[in-house]
Amino acid sequence: MRVLLALAIGAILAVGASVAVVNVGSPTPEPPNRPLYNYGTR
Amino acid sequence: MAGVPPGPDAAVPPGPAADGGTLPEAGGPSGARAAAARFAPALLGLALGLLALGPALGPGFVLRYDMVFVPDPPPVGPGEGFPRAVPSDLVVALLAQVVPVQAVQKAALLGIFVLAASGAAALVPSRRLGPRLAAAAFYAWNAYLAQRLLLGQWALLLGVAGLPWAVRAAAHSFRGASAEAVRRAGRTPATPGTRETWWARAAWPVRLAVALLPAAVGGFQAMLVSALAVLPVAATARGPAGHPPPAGPPGADPGEPSGGPEADRRPGEAGGRWRVGPAVRRAGGAAAVVVLLSLPWLVPALGSRAVTDPAGVRAFAARADGPFGTVGSLLTLGGIWNSDAGVPGQGTWWSAGVRLALAAVAVWGFARTRAGRAAPYRAGLATAAVAGLGVALAGAFAPGVLGGLIAWWPGFGPLRDGQLYLAPFALLQAVGLGCAVERWNSRAVAAVAAAVPVLVLPTFALGAFGRLAAVDYPDEWRRVQAIVNADPAPGALLSLPWGAHRAFGWNGHRVILDPATKMFRRRVLWNDALLVGLPGGGRLRVAPEDPATAGVDAALRARPGAREAALARLGVRYVLTRAGDDTFRDAATVFTGPEIRLLRLDEGL
Repeated sequence: MRVLLALAIGAILAVGASVAVVNVGSPTPEPPNRPLYNYGTR
Repeated sequence: MAGVPPGPDAAVPPGPAADGGTLPEAGGPSGARAAAARFAPALLGLALGLLALGPALGPGFVLRYDMVFVPDPPPVGPGEGFPRAVPSDLVVALLAQVVPVQAVQKAALLGIFVLAASGAAALVPSRRLGPRLAAAAFYAWNAYLAQRLLLGQWALLLGVAGLPWAVRAAAHSFRGASAEAVRRAGRTPATPGTRETWWARAAWPVRLAVALLPAAVGGFQAMLVSALAVLPVAATARGPAGHPPPAGPPGADPGEPSGGPEADRRPGEAGGRWRVGPAVRRAGGAAAVVVLLSLPWLVPALGSRAVTDPAGVRAFAARADGPFGTVGSLLTLGGIWNSDAGVPGQGTWWSAGVRLALAAVAVWGFARTRAGRAAPYRAGLATAAVAGLGVALAGAFAPGVLGGLIAWWPGFGPLRDGQLYLAPFALLQAVGLGCAVERWNSRAVAAVAAAVPVLVLPTFALGAFGRLAAVDYPDEWRRVQAIVNADPAPGALLSLPWGAHRAFGWNGHRVILDPATKMFRRRVLWNDALLVGLPGGGRLRVAPEDPATAGVDAALRARPGAREAALARLGVRYVLTRAGDDTFRDAATVFTGPEIRLLRLDEGL
């Protein structure tokens, strides 16, 4: 039972991770960092 | 994997065959496998480092925010402002005399992952490999480490990576004269008053100092974070009551006597009893070691005329980087002030939700651990985690208090970026996750748990999808550096534009601290005022710390023609500015490239 539960959780997390990677990896109009002379933006 | 025969003082009995992998005894018939298991957390850390850094490990320099490595760094001491990169910059410069500086940088970055993973694994009170790997993966792959790395704070991360080892040294440095150790050493157990006990007491601070070396190299932030954990751990550590310590680092003798908690036991005492006198002695000893290793930055800091603007509390307070607000962000080890330092995609409900669930499991696992079960650091680490969380929350919810403290004494300035003090909480969660996995006692659970930290934050991989990458400096920077460093004449170099940070196209427009601040053998005058963008579009200005900035600021406001003379009076010999800048018409142009221009203010101006 514990094995099945662990595998199920692992599978769900793997699917979620895949979606996150695809989302972030998709081309976006903005570059990862904006050319600011700021230290950063809150 | 073969189990370990329980010794006379074994705390953690070996599990059954399906227990997630019990460590075999080194030197036994399965010694090779024992060595592999012993090194497994470090190897896991190396693998995670390779995955996280990805493109940053290629040829070139990784430049992002505070992480500025330069070619041929000159070995110079601290400047006039607050010694933020002391002694890390000097150590890098000295290592660069014998090793290419790019290799130094990559070794430091990879070393952070290896040190963090192996250290967290060593703290887990379990002989099983699975729980230790789970803790290793969590501590080397979490939002805290990712965000601080994306802010370029590699020097801080040296201390964070070494934190488990420092905690272990503070709590465990005396391992008790176990029967096995005594047998191997061929001597009798230590007793108070004997020469061995004296040696044990003397060795304790040495071990602690060695464990704190990464933090000492890192500088003030790394040492402050380490002190936050080491002092309470040293003060509250109790003898492990007849239990052996957790699995140690490669080559460590699990029963080697030294100094520390058990050195204060009386003969025949069962151990585990906390006493005030020894606790004060240990805390005092740990404080002395911390202060000693802090001297490289502490002395210049106390001698500098640097000031700290209380406005920095508002600028650098922890913020919500997910749907659960600031508190939820901090509980999931995020919440860094800079939105550009977030891991891409970490703010989604999915990512934040699973990380919060993971944090809950980890804290539960730590809370269920008993101090007597080979975790003498438990109370101290919990104290440090709560204190660190408190500092982080104070900046967000009571900025007036923190601002008042900083206005009263600039020494409280390092507290303004409170989120960085979450490091002990991250370690607590890592150990807690390992303890939780230990309770489930299953290989499958252990395997999933070791993968979970990556699965809940997958976009930290590959340099956080391009946020970290290796680039090379354009040739013009190297030429300017060579010209200025070859000039024996005294005088400072003024770096323009009059701001602390740059976003060069050749660096993918990643924001970095002006590299000119680290390139030259002479004093570099730069504007260390910090501009922080606000969500509404405004900007918050944190006043400069270097008192020389005000004088340069006034000189730059002088009328055209008088500017050069005003700067020369301040001791400025060179001005490094943009190629198209023609502000200084009376200065001699020494070099002009596509991007930068070097001017010399000749004598007599």
